[in-house]
Amino acid sequence: MRKITLLVLFILGASFSAWAAGDTLVIAQGVDATTLDPVNHQETPTGNVTSNIFDNFYRRLPNGKYQPWLGEVKALDNLTWEMTVRKGVKFHDGEELNADVIKFNFDRLLNPDKPLKYSTYFKPIKSVEVVGPYKLKITTSKPFPLFLTRLTYFWVVPKKYIEDKGAAYFANHPVGTGPYKFVKWIKDQEIDLAANEDYWAGKPKIKKVVFRPIPEASSRVAELVTGGVDIITNLAPEAIDSVNASGVAEARTVPSIRNIFVELDVKGKGPLHDPKVRLALNYAVDKESIIKHVLGGNGTAVGCPLNTYMFGYDEDLCKPFPYDPAKAKKLLAEAGYPNGFSFTMGSPSGRYLNDRQVAEAVVGQLAKVGVKADLRVQEWSSYVGQILQRKIPTDAWLIGWGNAQFDADNTLFTLLYGGNVKGGPKRTVFSYFSDPQFDEYVLQAQSVVDQSKRQELYKKALERVRAGAPWIFLYQQEDIYGVNKRVKWQPRPDELIWAFDAEIVK
Amino acid sequence: MLTYIIRRLLLVIIVVWGAATLAFGLLYLSGDPVNLLLPLDAGQEARAELRHAYGFDQPIYVQYGRYLLKLIHGDFGTSLRSEEPALGLVLVRMGPTLLLAGWGLLFAVLLGVPAGVVAAVRKGSLVELLTMTLALLGQSVPVFWLGLMLILVFGLRLHWLPISGAGSWKHLILPTITVGTFVTASIARLTRSGVIQELRSDHVRTARAKGLAGRVVVYKHALRNAAIPVVTIIGLQLGALLSGAVITETIFAWPGIGRFVLIAVSQRDFPVVQATVVVFALLLAFVNLIVDLAYLWLDPRVRYS
Repeated sequence: MRKITLLVLFILGASFSAWAAGDTLVIAQGVDATTLDPVNHQETPTGNVTSNIFDNFYRRLPNGKYQPWLGEVKALDNLTWEMTVRKGVKFHDGEELNADVIKFNFDRLLNPDKPLKYSTYFKPIKSVEVVGPYKLKITTSKPFPLFLTRLTYFWVVPKKYIEDKGAAYFANHPVGTGPYKFVKWIKDQEIDLAANEDYWAGKPKIKKVVFRPIPEASSRVAELVTGGVDIITNLAPEAIDSVNASGVAEARTVPSIRNIFVELDVKGKGPLHDPKVRLALNYAVDKESIIKHVLGGNGTAVGCPLNTYMFGYDEDLCKPFPYDPAKAKKLLAEAGYPNGFSFTMGSPSGRYLNDRQVAEAVVGQLAKVGVKADLRVQEWSSYVGQILQRKIPTDAWLIGWGNAQFDADNTLFTLLYGGNVKGGPKRTVFSYFSDPQFDEYVLQAQSVVDQSKRQELYKKALERVRAGAPWIFLYQQEDIYGVNKRVKWQPRPDELIWAFDAEIVK
Repeated sequence: MLTYIIRRLLLVIIVVWGAATLAFGLLYLSGDPVNLLLPLDAGQEARAELRHAYGFDQPIYVQYGRYLLKLIHGDFGTSLRSEEPALGLVLVRMGPTLLLAGWGLLFAVLLGVPAGVVAAVRKGSLVELLTMTLALLGQSVPVFWLGLMLILVFGLRLHWLPISGAGSWKHLILPTITVGTFVTASIARLTRSGVIQELRSDHVRTARAKGLAGRVVVYKHALRNAAIPVVTIIGLQLGALLSGAVITETIFAWPGIGRFVLIAVSQRDFPVVQATVVVFALLLAFVNLIVDLAYLWLDPRVRYS
């Protein structure tokens, strides 16, 4: 018995963990970071931590545009760029930022023997040359109009520190140039950051930031409304009312970069091959009703693959298709299906906000115009595996696309390019659409650096998409956060949580 | 005796090999992990490169051979996500899980055994009815629901205890109750029926006839004999405790292995899942061995040869 008493006393002695109070901002996400190397992961929760420790070369603004941050880049011609590095920036350990460090960053990303998860964004770069203490010349193998937007993924890591300590140590004890310094990481429990008082862009207002992984959604809400944490991610629409009623916290939303839609296998011989049928399906689905009843109002109906944040978006061509079942029936009759038809539809469960329920609502609405969709729900990893291998067992599938490059190319080329251009690239893995003119426009937009020309090309491409209706266009998703009222902070479309932009008001 | 232990240890090797093979096979069937490792918009070329870098483009027998060869050296490879040695990631998280399971078991024994004894001794009384009703409830309540109710009452309403996380003794209380309740109930019920049976037996009657005190009769003569099935159940329940930890750890954001491996499975982080399966197989095999050895101490008639 005495031994047990001793054991209890021993555990009593252990320290108390983080609590949202005073100068500390506590952020709760569903999972822990997997690494703190800012360019070797592909998860938002990890990016949320690293983006507070590191700076990117170009910074994404809340409206989706970008601006120079750790330096500036100028196009010299179609294939060469001049990079100028900001002077007077220091890493947390005192190392100075200069052209050599930037070159080291490129070398690390472009090393073919040890690809990092972000390497894929910089593939077109052929050579990087240091031409002055703060100047570099970049040569690309083909025109690279996405270079500037991709530089928002260029999180700058220290050269000397990594060379001295090794990449593995760095990934657990990061040193960056950003507004917060790394303090400690207790795996799956908490990551502590402290303000970098010498930050080149100004002193951070919040002195301490703690990230806590809390996987269960209802536990996150419970922590929020009792003041245990300040910001929680992925608040369920059903929980909004109880959070707002708590008096302590409130729900804050932002339209996200992610569109949700139903992709159709238009290649087959069946009814989905006929554009009239596809248009009919778009008129048959009541987007507004789905947003209101399934998403608690947290979405915006959209009638094209893009949304307002994207370069290339066009307001007229992206107007949602109105809900018009009579018109849908008429179109179906014209196409030779007056009594409708049957097809199979897939949906993931738990990947997007109420994804399965959205798919069920779509099926229900299609039934009203006589189209019978047989729904098959799957776990995400096998679902996405089938999509990436082009082995989808259904005729249609619900999916979302978050375009974090904020440029039409990432959506239109990746999801719809059909490989109809002679000598051009083959059809992309996601694309089932086949429109030679569309392919032409999208490919041209990849090879000009002049942005106004690109804008025109995307407008023409969107016209083709609107006419071909290769998907059932649904809505732009909204991200919902729960935030303690003492915190002044607005959520961003790219899902990043920057403590530097936040403030605690008492 | 020694040969018995050696034979059992050899059996452990076979069990671990079987578990490791099963883990490899099931994961291999579950699909290509590279799909989930790169952003969706990464090109096929980048995917192929990564597949090659991890050796997933090799035939299955080559992959399996490599895996076993490394396993013999205690090398599980590196996590596909964090690129750190998988075994290290698993072992770091075993600590909190074992701590929770240990406290859950302690809670269950300290509460379940006395409750069972009291119910047996006071057979037919209101006390028995009450304890056994509670035990039945404890066995039927879903772990998930219990955890959320505890959070609701002690975290949200009363503000007595922290809702989630780890780091102090207060953080242990709700998860311990959540994980331990089912086991407590099983132990209480088993202890009760065991003790009732023993109280009716000849040696207890003899002990009473000798004039021994009631307390000595119950605890020394009845309980010790009733303990064999209880010890068996404790050994078996450790497996249940560890798997129950998956749910408990998720609800309370406890930094243990259960919740970690759940994420690793959904992300197809092969090395981490494989390392966890092997570590668990080893752990359970040893616990079973210890339980079997405990019989020797409890019942001198048991002999292994």
